[in-house]
Order: sequence, then C-alpha cells, then structure tokens
Amino acid sequence: MAAFLAGLFTGILSGFGVGGGTLLLIYMTVFAGLEQPLAQGINLLYFLPTASLALPAHVKNGFIEKSVLLPAILFGLVSAALAAWIATGLDVALLHRLFGGFLLYVGVSELLRKPSSPQNDSGDRSDTPPK
Amino acid sequence: MKKNTLRAVVSGSAAGLINGFFGGGGGMLLVPLLSRWLGLGDRKAFATSVAVILPLCILSSVIYLFRGTVEFSAALPYLLGGGMGGILGGKLFKNVNMLWLRRGFALLILYAGVRAAFFS
Repeated sequence: MAAFLAGLFTGILSGFGVGGGTLLLIYMTVFAGLEQPLAQGINLLYFLPTASLALPAHVKNGFIEKSVLLPAILFGLVSAALAAWIATGLDVALLHRLFGGFLLYVGVSELLRKPSSPQNDSGDRSDTPPK
Repeated sequence: MKKNTLRAVVSGSAAGLINGFFGGGGGMLLVPLLSRWLGLGDRKAFATSVAVILPLCILSSVIYLFRGTVEFSAALPYLLGGGMGGILGGKLFKNVNMLWLRRGFALLILYAGVRAAFFS
C-alpha cells in the first residue's frame, strides 16, 4: 500500500516531467530499504505506465515539441542501451557522484537564473524557434 | 545538420546515458537542456522531456529485466500508483504555475545532487 501511494504521489510529478522518478528512487532506497540496482529497475518500469498515461494530455494541449523527438530519441536509445548494459554489471557509485556534482551545478544555476519569462504559458519562445 | 537538430541529438544522448546508468533522472538533465539550450518554453520543455524519456525507459527496463536486475512483480504496486499519478499529472499540468514548478524542480535537483555527490 505504501508502495502504491509513493507511486501515486511521485507519478503526478513524473507526469509533469519533474523528477518524480528521482523522488521515487530516494523513497525506495532510503525508506523502503531496496538495493540501488533493484530500485533503479523498478523506477524504469514505473515510468512506463506513468509517462504513457500522462502523454496524451500533453499532446492534446500542444506541449510536445515534435522537432526534438526524432533526433533526441534515436540517439538517446543508443546511449541508454549502452549505459543500461554497463550499469547492470557494474558498481556505478562513482558515476553517481559525478552526476551529483552535475545536479548541484544545474540546481544552483536554476535558482540563480533570472526569471525572464517565468510564465511562458504558450510554450514557445520566439527568439530561437526549434529547427 | 541543423543546429537545433544537433543539440537535440546531444541532449537525447546525454539523457539516455543518465537514464541507463541510474534508472532515472534523465529529465533532470533534459529539462534544463531543452529550455536553455534548445530554447523551448517552460511547459514544452517539461512535457517534451516526458516524451523523449519514455522510449529510453522502455529500452533500459527491458535490459534491466533481461539482466535479472529487477523482476516485474516487485515493481507492480509502483506501476499501479504511477499510472494513476501519471493521468492526474497530465491533466493538471496545464494549470500548474511554472514559476513554482521551476523553483521546486531546482530544490529537488539540489537535494538529489547533494545526496548523489556526498552520500552515494
């Protein structure tokens, strides 16, 4: 039941696209006591129904930038396969630290960033149209 | 290759690496790249990130399953909750205040960063 509720709460955030999976990973490893690799595997599976069911609304609302999809997904699949294969046979603690350093950088710069267009509701920024 | 196509290729590849290695967190990388580097608006950056990450998760999870790192039964309760949350998230998204979403996102990234950098 706790697992279901954790999935439900983080699922809302995952539907937004904001780190619901990261929160779920923290829940599973810290509070539910799961091993890191198992938690990662669950997290990947968890995202399948979550994203699949959130996407129709995003498409309907016109929030998907289609020009990005093909190149990003195509090359993302190659690197994801490679990384997943390596990660399932390796201790990725060092990598995780490096990623942590990267997250710190992004988090700080995100907080310091001037909210030039915080309410960019149309989803378009006219200065640099994609493609 | 057009500039933004190249940027999409690089962003997608980077998200794939993070997704495969850590079983999540690809969006933390992808959302800032899509909004700052490719110039997508906030809402588009978040939503498009979901669309890019999904196929990567499909492939990564197949590999995790195949390699015996995870079993489907262990994930089931999370899947049920996540599915319902996903429906809600998709429906609520157009009404979410992006300024607060961005700030919450930044704080979450910082927290995850501290954890990953110093406690992993």
